[in-house]
Amino acid sequence: MRATIDPQKDYYSILGVDAEADAEEIKTAFRALAKRYHPDSEEGDAEKFRQVQEAYDVLRDPARRLAYERQREAMGLTHTVPFRIDGWVSASTLPVLDSEQLLYVMAEISPRHHREAGKQPLNLALVIDRSTSMRGTRMENVKLAIHEFIDALKPEDRLAIVAFSDRAEVIVPSVLGTEKRRLHAAVSRLVPSGGTEIYQGLVAGLEEVRRYIGGRYISHVILMTDGRTYGDEELALFEARRAASRGIGISALGIGEDWNDAFLDALAQAGHGLSQYISAPSQLQQLLQAHLRGLSSVVVRDLDLAIKLAEGVQLRSIYRVRPHIGSLPRPEGTPIRLGHLGDEPVAVLMELIVPPGPPMGEHRVVRLEAEGLAGESMQRVRVRHDVMVTFTTGDVPPQEVPARLLTTLARLSVYRLQEKAWTMLEEGDSRQATVLLQSAATRLFDLGQRELARVAMLEADRVAQEGMPSSRGRKQLRYGTRSLTISPNGPDDSRS
Amino acid sequence: MSDEKQGEKIICPTCGAENLPGTLFCTECGIYLPSGGPLRTEPLPEEQESVTSRRWVQEAAMHTNHLVGVTIEVLQSGRRVPLALDEGKEIFIGRLDAVHGIFPELDLTNDGGLEHGVSRRHARIYAKNGVCYLEDMDSTNGTFLGDERLTPYLPYELHDGDIITLGTMRLRLRLHRRPA
Repeated sequence: MRATIDPQKDYYSILGVDAEADAEEIKTAFRALAKRYHPDSEEGDAEKFRQVQEAYDVLRDPARRLAYERQREAMGLTHTVPFRIDGWVSASTLPVLDSEQLLYVMAEISPRHHREAGKQPLNLALVIDRSTSMRGTRMENVKLAIHEFIDALKPEDRLAIVAFSDRAEVIVPSVLGTEKRRLHAAVSRLVPSGGTEIYQGLVAGLEEVRRYIGGRYISHVILMTDGRTYGDEELALFEARRAASRGIGISALGIGEDWNDAFLDALAQAGHGLSQYISAPSQLQQLLQAHLRGLSSVVVRDLDLAIKLAEGVQLRSIYRVRPHIGSLPRPEGTPIRLGHLGDEPVAVLMELIVPPGPPMGEHRVVRLEAEGLAGESMQRVRVRHDVMVTFTTGDVPPQEVPARLLTTLARLSVYRLQEKAWTMLEEGDSRQATVLLQSAATRLFDLGQRELARVAMLEADRVAQEGMPSSRGRKQLRYGTRSLTISPNGPDDSRS
Repeated sequence: MSDEKQGEKIICPTCGAENLPGTLFCTECGIYLPSGGPLRTEPLPEEQESVTSRRWVQEAAMHTNHLVGVTIEVLQSGRRVPLALDEGKEIFIGRLDAVHGIFPELDLTNDGGLEHGVSRRHARIYAKNGVCYLEDMDSTNGTFLGDERLTPYLPYELHDGDIITLGTMRLRLRLHRRPA
């Protein structure tokens, strides 16, 4: 038996499998490669063949595989996957029914602390609305927040500043974090005047970021606006999607009450970034800092979640629930892009419809695969989680729904209620919208969210009487219910 | 298949909407279907307060038998949990919350803790000088010894067979001693 274990060699890469591969995958990979590089075959390569054999010899034997990994870890060459998936189901035992039934599944992807985290430089652009409406304290607050943002940059980060009104102006092209004086000076000189052409601003910002895209840079554009753009929303969305496909993230921050929340949401969703409502000036500083920290501590980039349903099982809905609640775009059959994974875990909650007459016994209802690029070397890593449920024709034992799933679902429920209200309103059914908003209010009271409940009641009244909500109320409700997740201060803390 | 059970839609008690079996929150009005009402550990409606004299200990009684453990019986579910309780050891009772690092020795989550108004950090039991004490940790829905509501953070002496209530969850305590 060969005794060679060479920790300097990357046996996983040699076999073309990832570090979490099981025995089955390793064997399959070995067979394919052995066949390919066997000296007698067309692509025969004695050296490659020997490498493949050595890799297989180590990885196929659990004891040697473990020893190999330990040696690598001691040398800092570890392949440890920097994140994990945890799953919760609403019921782990279900009856065999002659009709469909609903099953909730929550999956949380959390970072494992990894030595290499947080060393990736940022390639950013701030796109700032400097239209007339920003005059006064609004612009002052934005400037203050940006000055602080500039101060927090690392020397290897890049920042460009674009200001837009009727036109876009690159007031500082992408420069390194060492040029703080120049950045500060340009921001101080900003004077509000003109209209609001978001598309122009966005394009200019994306251009600046594109110049340094690639490598280990985390590329991201942060848009700040207080108003509406006219006629160019579709164009802006198109640009956003194009940029996102090339790895540039986009976040959108709306200041005050007059901006188009549906549009900013769509932009941020296309760009896998945040969209936020800044109602109080002080929030902006905090938010920008938190956003910067989040971007700087990316553990896994371009995190994708593939959902492989068992036969007959349907996915009725899936929502992001952590770090905040939101809908997820789900192009048919493709993995869901969750953005980058930083210090904060990312979680989703799914409603699965189990078909009638499932087979008895323990079966997998869904397989979840989270995949992304990790570490300085930007290695593709993958973690798999199978959700198993036991189906029985006998009595189903009493089970408690995991508390965490239940409380998250309660909050998601309220978010969905008010979103449904807005949809009903758009379809012209203000009566149904009112009912939904009233239900949302009651549920918010139940959750201890008195302030938000009051807002919901007020908007319900407004919609009943005037057929329209107030701009402010709608934003408060949408963004308020969105951030109703378990925050560090406790489940019912609405400060987050 | 004749073994299959009848799958019945769940009719929401509030709005009458039909929901698939397994649904927890009505799709039309968001109400929590299993209980037909609120889901929270916010203060439950005030129950009649019976004012009984406080029983807090003024002085520690010395027992000749050492306290070694306590068995807590969760009356709602019938579950019996034996726990060691030496001098200086504490037993926390509440609901587990890994996110916030709350790991009570007695986790009532699976006994219906959330629905019965049990806080994550609800109460604690400890032994001092051979006496077993119960303390409420300023819980949302209170801790009761018999009918008496405990003042937060004040120790109350526990005796074998006492029934304590956390929110609306009742527990019976058996104290175990061995001769010195």
